[in-house]
Amino acid sequence: MSTAAAPGTGELTKEDMLEHYRVMRTIREFEERLHREFATGEIPGFVHLYAGEEAIAAGVCAHLGPDDYVASTHRGHGHAIAKGCGVKAMMAEIYGKKTGLCHGKGGSMHIADLDKGMLGANGIVGGGPPLVCGVGLSAKVRGTDQVGVSFTGDGGSNQGTFLESLNLASVWDAPCVFVVENNGYAEATSSTYHQKGVDVAKRADGFGMPGIVVDGHDFFAVHEAAGEAIRRARSGGGPTLLECKVNRYFGHFEGDQQTYRAPDEVESIRATRDCLDQFVKRVTSAGLAEQPDLDKIDAEVAELLDSAVAEAKAGPDPTGEDLLTDVYVRY
Amino acid sequence: MPATVGVIANPASGRDIRRLVAGASVFDNAEKGSMVFRAMAGLGEAGVERVLMMPAADGVGAALERQLSGRRGALAEAPFPVLEVLGQASTGTAQDTVAAVREMVARDVAAIVVLGGDGTHRLVAAHCGDIPLLALSTGTNNAFPEMREATVAGLAAGLVATGAAPADGTVVREHGLEVSTNGRRELALVDVAVSTERFVGSRALWKAGSVSELFVAFAGPSAIGLSAIAGILDPVARGEGEALHVRLAPPGEAARTVRVPLAPGLIAPVGVRDHRRIAAGETVALPAAAGCLALDGEREIEHSEADAATVRLVPGPRRIDVDAVMRLTRAAAT
Repeated sequence: MSTAAAPGTGELTKEDMLEHYRVMRTIREFEERLHREFATGEIPGFVHLYAGEEAIAAGVCAHLGPDDYVASTHRGHGHAIAKGCGVKAMMAEIYGKKTGLCHGKGGSMHIADLDKGMLGANGIVGGGPPLVCGVGLSAKVRGTDQVGVSFTGDGGSNQGTFLESLNLASVWDAPCVFVVENNGYAEATSSTYHQKGVDVAKRADGFGMPGIVVDGHDFFAVHEAAGEAIRRARSGGGPTLLECKVNRYFGHFEGDQQTYRAPDEVESIRATRDCLDQFVKRVTSAGLAEQPDLDKIDAEVAELLDSAVAEAKAGPDPTGEDLLTDVYVRY
Repeated sequence: MPATVGVIANPASGRDIRRLVAGASVFDNAEKGSMVFRAMAGLGEAGVERVLMMPAADGVGAALERQLSGRRGALAEAPFPVLEVLGQASTGTAQDTVAAVREMVARDVAAIVVLGGDGTHRLVAAHCGDIPLLALSTGTNNAFPEMREATVAGLAAGLVATGAAPADGTVVREHGLEVSTNGRRELALVDVAVSTERFVGSRALWKAGSVSELFVAFAGPSAIGLSAIAGILDPVARGEGEALHVRLAPPGEAARTVRVPLAPGLIAPVGVRDHRRIAAGETVALPAAAGCLALDGEREIEHSEADAATVRLVPGPRRIDVDAVMRLTRAAAT
């Protein structure tokens, strides 16, 4: 999965369009597939699916290189895929297999690949932002142009860790971007109930950094705003809070009965605001991609996921000895 | 006569990408609440009995309630309208404004006080019919609404709403630019820009180099934003009944280059190929090119080379001229 920096809006090429589409389609297929496979009971632990929010991971990570870092959430598969983690190793990890990205010891909520700049999904709500403050400080001290991006949900944005990180990154002028994926629910609690006010972005004001809002269903809106925020961070301009308004298609976790949502809520969002549908419609009518190219990607992605699931199922389990590896790190 | 006035205070205005790419300000929501409070003081002074307000989240309503319930001394004795917050469900989107304006129209309010930017006013104007608007800016990047002290502005709106001020000469008919494309019609209050940007993206139009043509409904010589280009070339007064059509070119290839305050903190060179006035009602076809049409500085419509689009100057909303109201009513009182 290429994560090379993409040119800004206005210089979009067909190759870029197809790559962005591939990232989003891979995330969608990965999550839809997990939704079906989890129901069989074969997957250990919890999974939290990212379907519906693909435009955010793809739009942000398109501007990041392998040397940049992202810190994710418990809903982390999309961020990992967009940051370039191997899809087969991710699937094996979720199945708890030794061939997994973390040798089957992390599972869905702790998928990490430091070589790809993926600091990990995170079981702790609001756990990512402090990590990217560290990325920012490190880059600043070493004089590199690396950037740290954290993803947080609307629920996570109420955590002290999130607010402390905004302050820390701001006083350090650290090259950080705090992305809030506001999907309207902290687990089962509507954001109208758990937050005073509609926009998380306004919290940036109190910490002396810009806070902006974009439509998280719109790849081009996210891509443009994230591009400017990341460019600003890279060039020493300091941190930005970028709030993306979005909806998730599945429950908080697989098995969530979602009694807190209106019966037709997801169907109407899928029908009218889906990020992939919008993207396809707009790039084809703009003449930047043709349907057969997109269909070909769909087929390739479906094939990739078929073999990822088959290989994950067939992969070896970790053994007793594996419990004692990767416990301590020498540094 | 007893009057009811509507209030729309957009809690979400001022959060676009211009905070990253220019020096655009952040307008605090508590200050928006305070502005509504001050406008209510003026409305009450003029005899307005009731205010219908769009539910205002994000601290706007909280700041207003705090000030209303904390009135002491002279403030407690002054007449204030009753505040009725509309019962609509809040979606946190532009639909909230549309729903609130529709309710205000149905309830026959005598005026609507609008706090927001050009975008908020455009939305209100599309649904308010002939109800006079008090247009107040909550930011530094606006052309249609004015930056004004809300107490006196509220007083002026109240005098119009109660009929104490004559409507003649105090409520002016603005013009707008109507864009028609593929059966869709939109009204811009300030300007329409043809941009080569392919996608609406983060909406705000902030790359001047992407604009090939510009239509301006009015532009003062001290305007900021895209309309400032016209304000420099050939200022058009509000209500003049003419628009300006400007064709742009890269500064290196242009007949003339002007330096324009395009956004707060951003003054940049803009190349001008030519410009001409357009009469009200004259229909101008836009060039067939792929890109976006931006209305009042926000990319709204994506179009391809095959999409035909036209622009024409049409009558727009009615706006309360605060200075005129105060001049006429004070002259009558002395």
